[in-house]
Amino acid sequence: MNCVFFVMTVSSLLMMLFSSPSQAFPAMIDGASGAIALALKLCAIYAIWLSVLDVMNKLGMSKALGKACSPLTRKLFKGEDGKTRDLITLNFTANFLGMGGAATPLGIKAMERMQDGTERATDNMILFLVINATSIQLIPATVVGLRAAAGSASPGDIILPSLLATTVSTIAGVIVVKTLVSIKKPRKQPLPPVPLKGARFE
Amino acid sequence: MRALSDFFLPVFIIAVLAIGFFRRVNVYDSFVTGAKESLGLVLSVFPYICAVLISTELFAVSGLSAALTDLLAPVFRFLGIPEQLCELVIVRPLSGNGSLAVLEKLIAEYGADSYIARCGSVIVGASETVFYVCTVYVSTTKVRKLRYALPVSLFCCLLGAVASCLLCTLM
Repeated sequence: MNCVFFVMTVSSLLMMLFSSPSQAFPAMIDGASGAIALALKLCAIYAIWLSVLDVMNKLGMSKALGKACSPLTRKLFKGEDGKTRDLITLNFTANFLGMGGAATPLGIKAMERMQDGTERATDNMILFLVINATSIQLIPATVVGLRAAAGSASPGDIILPSLLATTVSTIAGVIVVKTLVSIKKPRKQPLPPVPLKGARFE
Repeated sequence: MRALSDFFLPVFIIAVLAIGFFRRVNVYDSFVTGAKESLGLVLSVFPYICAVLISTELFAVSGLSAALTDLLAPVFRFLGIPEQLCELVIVRPLSGNGSLAVLEKLIAEYGADSYIARCGSVIVGASETVFYVCTVYVSTTKVRKLRYALPVSLFCCLLGAVASCLLCTLM
């Protein structure tokens, strides 16, 4: 992220030196102001969802949901405990239903539980990030709303292709991450002991 | 479909609150706790979104985004993505609001039911703001090295965009 941030920021600024140097600083302030506005909005959304989640937790609903999906999450996220898998399930469910505001705090909590204390993301954390970054939404409500507002004859006709496209990208993500993990792993595991056959002929 | 999704959230919240109330969960306390937790969460998330938004704003305003669009247009055309959608594909992983603005422009320019607008809608609907997810989700952890998370996510988003364009020609 450090590299990406550096390259993007500095190359943009360099480009602005030639085109419009006076706008560089205002643009940075615009970005930061946008972040403040977004943070306030997020604070409101998180406040509501964390509250609803607290009720759900006290009712044992999140645990029940986590248990129902555990065959899948256990396979995908090997080595994570039940509580973490419950959070992962809830995050996926919230994303799936288009409740992005609810998904984020759950995802953050799940990530906290998956870290191994080092600066490097674990394989499970990366898998979780990739699944979240490729989106798993059932109904893209915002886009459907935009189309309806623009007078589309059938604003909902993008739902099925969207669902298929996001399925493609998410499954591809899981396959790529799992492949990268399995390519890297054999080196770490100790080789199985080889019987010393040659010893007999000494 | 839109009406249905409008009902979903309030009904869901009513259900959770009602079940909670009758099973003697202190619903009011839960809301106080939630609001309190949210403050802490936003405080730890804010520095990250601030840094990302400064960078993405510069990226858009400087014209670098437009330059990159021109540069990558032939590659995208080769992958089956029409050049009118290149800007959208590039902005999408960087900024949620930015990509909605680009999509609105496309809808206004080509008409809501045109191939370009439908394709753009699918691209936005089937993907996520990759940079935002990758920064916010690790914001409260010690993790600073995302290893291959970002390239894999971006690659899969591009794959999703290619699939979107293909699906829109079929459906």
